[in-house]
This record gives sequence, structure tokens and C-alpha cells, in this order.
Amino acid sequence: MLKDLKELKDKAQEEVKTANSSRELERISKEYLGKKGELTQILHSLKDLPKTSRAEVGKETNEIIEFLKTEIEKKLSEMEEVDKKEEEQKEWIDVSAPAPKPNLGHLHPLTILKRKIENIFNTMGFTIVEGREVENEWYNFDALNIPKNHPARDAWDTSWLKDGNLLLRTHTSPVQIHYMEEHQPPLRIVVPGKVFRHEATDASHDFQFYQIEGLMVDKEISAANFKAVIEEFFRQFFDKPVKVRLRPGFFPFVEPGFEIDMSCMVCGGKGCSTCQKTGWIEMMGAGMVHPNVLKAAGLNPKNWQGFAFGMGLDRLVMMKYKINDIRLFHGNDLRFLKQF
Amino acid sequence: MIFSYNFLQSFFKEKLPQPQKLADLLIRYSFEVEKMEKRGNDWLLDIDVLSNRAADCFSYLGIARECAAITGIKLTIKKYNLVEDKTIKIKDLITVEVEDKKICSRYTAKVIKGIKVKPSPKWLQQRLESCGLRPINNIVDAANYIMLETGQPLHTFDLDKIESIAVRQAVKGEKIVSLDNEKYDLDESILIIADKENPLAIAGIKGGKSAEINSETKTIILEAANFDYQSIRAASRKLKLKTDASLRFEHGLDPNLTEFALKRLAGLLQEIAGGKAAKGMIDLYPQKTLPKRIKLDLSYTQKLIGIDITVKEIIKILKSLEFKVISQNQNKELLVEVPTYRLDVSLPEDLIEEIGRLYGYENIEAVLPTTVLIPPKRNEELFWENNIKDILKEAGFSEAYNYSFNSAEQLRNFQFPLAKRPEVKNPMSAEQKYLTPSLIPNLLKNIEKNLDYFNEIKIFELGKTFSKTAAAVAEKKMLTAVISQKGSKPELFYELKGIADLLLNNLGITDVWYDEHQPTPEESKSNIWHSRKCAEIKIGNKEIGFLGEISPVFLDILKIKAKVAVFDLDFQALKEAALEECEYRPISRFPATIRDIAILVPKTAKIIDVLNKINIAGGELVRDVDVFDVYEGISETKKNLAFHIVYQADDRTLTAKEVDQIQNNIITALEKTPEWEVRK
Repeated sequence: MLKDLKELKDKAQEEVKTANSSRELERISKEYLGKKGELTQILHSLKDLPKTSRAEVGKETNEIIEFLKTEIEKKLSEMEEVDKKEEEQKEWIDVSAPAPKPNLGHLHPLTILKRKIENIFNTMGFTIVEGREVENEWYNFDALNIPKNHPARDAWDTSWLKDGNLLLRTHTSPVQIHYMEEHQPPLRIVVPGKVFRHEATDASHDFQFYQIEGLMVDKEISAANFKAVIEEFFRQFFDKPVKVRLRPGFFPFVEPGFEIDMSCMVCGGKGCSTCQKTGWIEMMGAGMVHPNVLKAAGLNPKNWQGFAFGMGLDRLVMMKYKINDIRLFHGNDLRFLKQF
Repeated sequence: MIFSYNFLQSFFKEKLPQPQKLADLLIRYSFEVEKMEKRGNDWLLDIDVLSNRAADCFSYLGIARECAAITGIKLTIKKYNLVEDKTIKIKDLITVEVEDKKICSRYTAKVIKGIKVKPSPKWLQQRLESCGLRPINNIVDAANYIMLETGQPLHTFDLDKIESIAVRQAVKGEKIVSLDNEKYDLDESILIIADKENPLAIAGIKGGKSAEINSETKTIILEAANFDYQSIRAASRKLKLKTDASLRFEHGLDPNLTEFALKRLAGLLQEIAGGKAAKGMIDLYPQKTLPKRIKLDLSYTQKLIGIDITVKEIIKILKSLEFKVISQNQNKELLVEVPTYRLDVSLPEDLIEEIGRLYGYENIEAVLPTTVLIPPKRNEELFWENNIKDILKEAGFSEAYNYSFNSAEQLRNFQFPLAKRPEVKNPMSAEQKYLTPSLIPNLLKNIEKNLDYFNEIKIFELGKTFSKTAAAVAEKKMLTAVISQKGSKPELFYELKGIADLLLNNLGITDVWYDEHQPTPEESKSNIWHSRKCAEIKIGNKEIGFLGEISPVFLDILKIKAKVAVFDLDFQALKEAALEECEYRPISRFPATIRDIAILVPKTAKIIDVLNKINIAGGELVRDVDVFDVYEGISETKKNLAFHIVYQADDRTLTAKEVDQIQNNIITALEKTPEWEVRK
């Protein structure tokens, strides 16, 4: 009997080994392990065996059943793997075909670079402050050492409101005064914001545009300090070392006043059409805060000194992204906005 | 202002640097040179004189002084040898009266008899032409030439045509015909030079025809005066007349300059037109301008520029600019006398600027500030602004920047009463007349334009809106988002509501709800919004914004051929309600059970009411309720709502019995409402 069992096991094992479809394996399973399967039959007929061999045969049979089950399962998963691999080989995609993109929106280029600038100054300890867009004459002009009827006022073409001696701020500088009225130095702020000029528009001028203003006031803040801060800013903003040049400039709210040039990004200072062959690009106005401005804000110029600067955000963005018309910023054409 | 290189060179015996090099030096130490142009054997430099230096540098002498200070080359001013005839006394020839000494702080005049009017010598004509002036005759040309040289405007009259001179305000109704035959109506705001009765010239701006120099002229009176800059500025604006003279006067001039220029003119005229100069000079100068003296603290100078400059260097720079050092106090302080022509220098800081720029800004070494380490304060408003923009961007919205203005037509369309709008006094165009009360009008304009190229548009803007208050103008930041879709997409309202919910939830605002809008009769809102598809967005009882579709009728007015939905949120309210904190809730280890409920309700029943009932009756074991189907096709009056209800506990697996019990409670609660019928 045991010998028969051994033969049966070998036979079944061989059948499993050579089987080449899952259906065949099913048949083998049924033939040996099914209700009427050979091994099942043996288990059923155990009761007819002599007591002495009954246990041994029973044990052996069960072992073979387990063995066979494992073998069939193994074979099945092997075959499945082969099937899947074959299936895989039948598939193909064109990796060069365009894929659907999730629909993200776009921030305005002015927002993108405004944030970048704010972050750079933030890391240098400058707090970001905003201010009113409708101002009065005192904050926009007088407090900034630009007296009424003074020719200096001509530099700011102003949009006035009909009521109450109000105007649309022509620069972000009024925020300097508001902030110094409310905060004691030492102070460091940057002021981004919308400003307005009463002038005709063309590709490089708009009547509404954006400025970023900076102010640092402390006991001993010098022009040398300004130079270092602004060089660091340009280095980080353009992500490469740039040269900064201070030239004499005149803005009533600073003394000394500077015009700030930066070595041309396009030619590296050798001279090209972008910098009109000078190697330099005019970037901002700056200077040491005028004592009259400190006074107007309620600070004693004997105790405090500092620097201030202001630049056109639009110009900077135009330069960075090579945008040739400032009016695109307010056109809100999605064909423009979606490029950022 | 255009300057001829050769003309500048005439102030120096030594050779100036080459034109290109000189321009470079001027840019670094004085003024921007905008353009250079070769003209024959000369170069023309277009120098952008800073406006506070107009008083001394709208002149060759001023620029030559700058060149001298920068290069160290000595300035030499040509002298004219004026011979006066002692027998002719100027007082016998003319009397001058100045009405307002504040507006005309100095009036100087000289007389030359027996001059010969003829064309100017060639060199003079050439110099004028290189500066863009047309030669006329030797008298007029000489006056123009000395103006270019010194910056002092000068005028000449034919003395035989004048009885006396008065400097006075014009009277309304007075008229003058100018040298170029233009007629001007005068009034009290305009200062004139007048004869006994008639205007001879518009003071500081332009001469008149009546006392014009012509070929017959024998005796001339030369005028050099100082007029108040504000008065000239106002008159020049009023008459819309800008001249070389008015340009110089309206920036202010040194009264001491008149005498210097007048004598040079007399000298030059004698050289090129002959004649005998009367002895003396009319000089009405009651309040003499004296040089200012400024105390300069040396350590402050070093501290403000941030350089270690020596006293010796400072003194050298000041002297190169013809400033005088009166006294010196132990290397601590200088007393400096400023030439009167330097109107721009009156404070120590002004002196420091002079020292700094001639020391060379490029020689200042950059030094990072050493200061107390105070971390910057976070700008809360900007923080939330950035947050909001990022969320909307991720949700597929692009950011718009619009002008802050509307036209009257736009506002009328949107039914914003014009009287309440802050209005620009001097708008550049009709589009810029009113400050905008809402971001919606311009955003809808953006939609209209973009629909030419896109079928689906999602844009937003975060910016200020304006309204009149009793005392001033109030500014209010708003967040406005718009979606538009061509074709018939089901309910844009819900799509945008989903975005609003997403945004508010991301800002940590959870207690938001949408209240049906009850329009008041006078409200303009109801006209732009789709009356059946709009809602007030509320946090608790406070309205923070509005959400709705734009009415189809209004879309026609705006020529928008697609559906549009808008939400308009008060940014300040959002910022106040927003929460940065976020708390983790442990994920239950026990499985959830999901049961569905379908309920038949009247069409006007609100889903939020059904949801509330389910949540209240279900209690805390109901983790979540989802609407998964709304079917309106059942009947005219009813609709079917279907919900998934998720049951879950944190501490055990719920038994079927427990869940059945709660589900039954929910059903009972729902059916208490008449006309609500749970389908089993």
C-alpha cells in the first residue's frame, strides 16, 4: 500500500510538473484531491485497512495531499507570473505622447517677484509694511521735504481727488512717515505697493504701477551700509554677483542722494543694446534720510540717521522676464499670465 | 541741457580730458550725461543737470566749475574791459521802480549809448547755434550768450522807446505782443516790466515788441533782475509759455548773479557793438543775500558716509568747489562759507553730499550694518494674502492685477451711485475717472476679453476698493474670484462654492454657511446677480461675502457669451477668522460602517437642513455624511436625495445592532418633518 502511495505521489508530481495550463492543474487537483479524487478515496477507504497499517497509511496520504496542494499552488503562481509577463509584452505606449496636466493656476509675475524681494529683505531683518493708496498732501509731499509750489514737486505728476485735498500716492514713501510716527528706531522696513502717476502711458510708462521702498534708521547707519545691503539684495535677486554703482542723485527726501546703477545683466558690463552701451542699468533712487523727513515724522535728527531707497517693481520684473511692454501687467490676458 | 565741449574748454587754459572721458567723470561725480554727439570739430554733451542744481548749473560756468572740481584743472574766466563814460550818468537817463521787493528781490540795469546793431561775430553765432539758439543781432545774441555762460537771464530794451521802468503786477485786461508776435492776455498773477503805461516785457519770461531792439536802435538799457521762482513758475504755466529765461528763473537764482552777468554783458557789447556805457548801474537790492555759513561736524561726516576721511581731504574738496573754510576747531568742526550761487546747500548734510560725491561714491567700501539683532515682525495681512493666493493658484486660478479705476459708464452699468464714489479731479481718460468700488467690474472685463481665446476661465484678484466717507476715502481689501465656462456646464454656482469652501477650510475657517440672499429694494446687488442663484457667505451671523452667478441679462449688457460665477469676499474678515493652527485627530483603529439613506423631499427643501437633522439625530458616532445623489426627475414637486452615512467609534467596532439603532433614530427624526419621506 505504501509503495502504491509512493507511486501515486510521483505520478501526480510529474503531472503537475508537466501541466501547462491552469485548467489542466484544475483537472489534476480534481483527479487527486476532489471529492472523488484518488487520494480522497484512499482516505475514505482507511476504515477497511487493518488497524496496524491504518495510521501509517493515513498519515502518509495526508502528507501527500498537503504536498500536492502546495505543488499545485506553486505551479499556478508560476504560470500566472508567466501569463502576466506575456501580457505586459503585448502592451506599448508612446512615451513621447503629450500627457494631461493637472490644472494649476498662475500667480501674477508682479506677485512672484514681489515675494522674492520681500523674502530677501526679510532675511536681512526688514519688516514688510503696507500703506494707504489714497493719501493727503502732507504725507505724500510736505513731510517728505517737497514743499508746496516747489519745482521739486513737478517731478511727481499727481492724480488729485475731487474732495478733501486728497491724492493718489505718487510713491510709497509716505509709508516712511506713517511708520516712523508709530515706531521708534532702530527700524528696518520694506514697503511694497501700488502707486499712481498722472502721465500718459506707453510701453515703459503706466499711470498705475508698483514700487518697493526701503528704510533703515538707527544710531549709525551710513552710505557704506546702504551699499552693502543693496549689493547683497541684487546678488540674491539676480542670483549672481553684480556690481553696484552709486551716482549723485537728487530726491528731496534724502541727502546725500544717490542714483543706483547695476552692472548690466545682459552683457556683464561690457556694453550692449540693453544698457545702451554704458554697461550700467539704472535701478533705483536712494540716499540718506533727510533730517527734515526725520523731523516731520517726529524723530530727532541728532539722534537718528539712516538710508532709504525706492525702485520700480514693474521695471525689475520686466528686466527679469524680458517683458517689453509695461501695460501687459494690467491687461490680464491669460495668454500672458499663464507663462508664469 | 546741451553743452558744447569746445565752449567748456574755453574756461580752461589747460586741456580738459577727452569728451568721452569728461562725460564719464561727470556721470560719476556730478550729473548723468544722457547723450553725446559729434558736431564738426566739437562734441555736444546732453547733461541731465539735477533739478536742485539748476541755480548754478544751467550755465556753462556752473558745469565748468564742476569740471574744475573733478579734474583739478584751474578755471579761468575771461574778463571784459568795460570803459564807462563819466559824463553820462545812468540816473539821468532812466528811473526804475519795483512795486513788490519780495517778487523782484533785485533789479540791476546799465545803459549803453551809441551802439551799432548788426549781425554778431561768427564765433558768437556758432556758440549760440551749438546750444540750439538762433542768432538774431549782436545785442540780442550777446544777452543770450551771457545767459548761457552765467545762467542769468538778461534782457535789452531800446531806451529811446521807454520813458521809465516799473516792475509791477499786470492789471486784468492788459495785453502784450511778444517779440515773436504772439499776443498774451495778462492779469494780476503775472509780473511785468512796464513803461509808464504799457507792458514792455513779461518779467523773467519774454520781451515785448514795443521796446524791441532793431537796426535803428542807438541807446539800449540792459536788464538783469532776480524774480521769485514761484511767481515766474505760475505765470509761465498760466501763459503756457516756457522760455530759456523762465526755465532758469523757475528753479531759483542767486540775486548776486545779476551784477556779475550785467557787467559781462556790457563788456561784451562794447566789444562787439561799440558805444559808450553810462557810468554806474541801477541797483535796487534792498535785502542783500549774504553767503551762508554752516557748521560741519567731522565725525558726523564720517559716520553718515561711512568712510575714514581726513580733515585735510575734506578741506581740499570744499575748496575745489570754491567753498571757504572760515575756521577749524581741533579737527572736530569746520565753519564753512557757501558761495551764494549754491542755492542747494544750506545744511551740514548738503555739505556732506558734496564731500561724498567728490570723494567718489565708488570709493566707499560696502560695510554690512552692525546692529541689534531684532527679527523682523511678520506682516499678518501679507501672510494670509500669500496663503490665499497660493490656495487659489493650486485650485487652478490665475491672478489678475487690474487698474483701480472705473469709467462712469461702467459704474452706471453696475448701478453703483456715482455720487458716492471718490472721483479723480484730473483723470487722464474717461476710464480713470472713479476709484473702483468693487473688483468685479474690471474682472468681468477680463473675462469678456479672454473668452476670445479660452473656453474656461478662472481668475481672481486681491486688491483694494474705495468708498467715500465723511472725512476721507475708505480703502477696503477684497478677494474676488470669477469662473466662466462656455457651453452648459451644470451649475457653475456649485463649482465656485466648492472653491470657496476649499479656500475657507484651508484657512482654518470651518463655521461657514451660505444664506439665501434676501434683496432689499434699493440694493444694486440684485441686478447683476442671478436672482435664483446667489447667496450670502456667512461666518456665524456675519456676512463676509457674496457668491453667485451673474444674471444672464446682465451678461448680455457686458457682451459676455458664457456663464459666469463670482465670489466676492471681505479680505479683512477672512484674515480675522483665519486660523493657522491645525490639530491632528487620531485615526480610529476600528472599522467604519457605511449605511445609505434616500429621502424624498419637496424641491425647495435645503440639503443643509437634511444634513443638520441627520447629524443631530445621529450623534457623535456619525463620523461623516456625504450627499451622493440629487435626483430631480421624480416629479414636478419632489426630489430625491441620497446620503452615505459613515458610522465609526474610536474605541470599539460598532455592532450591526448599534448601527441599526442609530440609523432608525435618524429615519424617525427625518420623517418628523411633514412631506419628507425616507425611502425604504
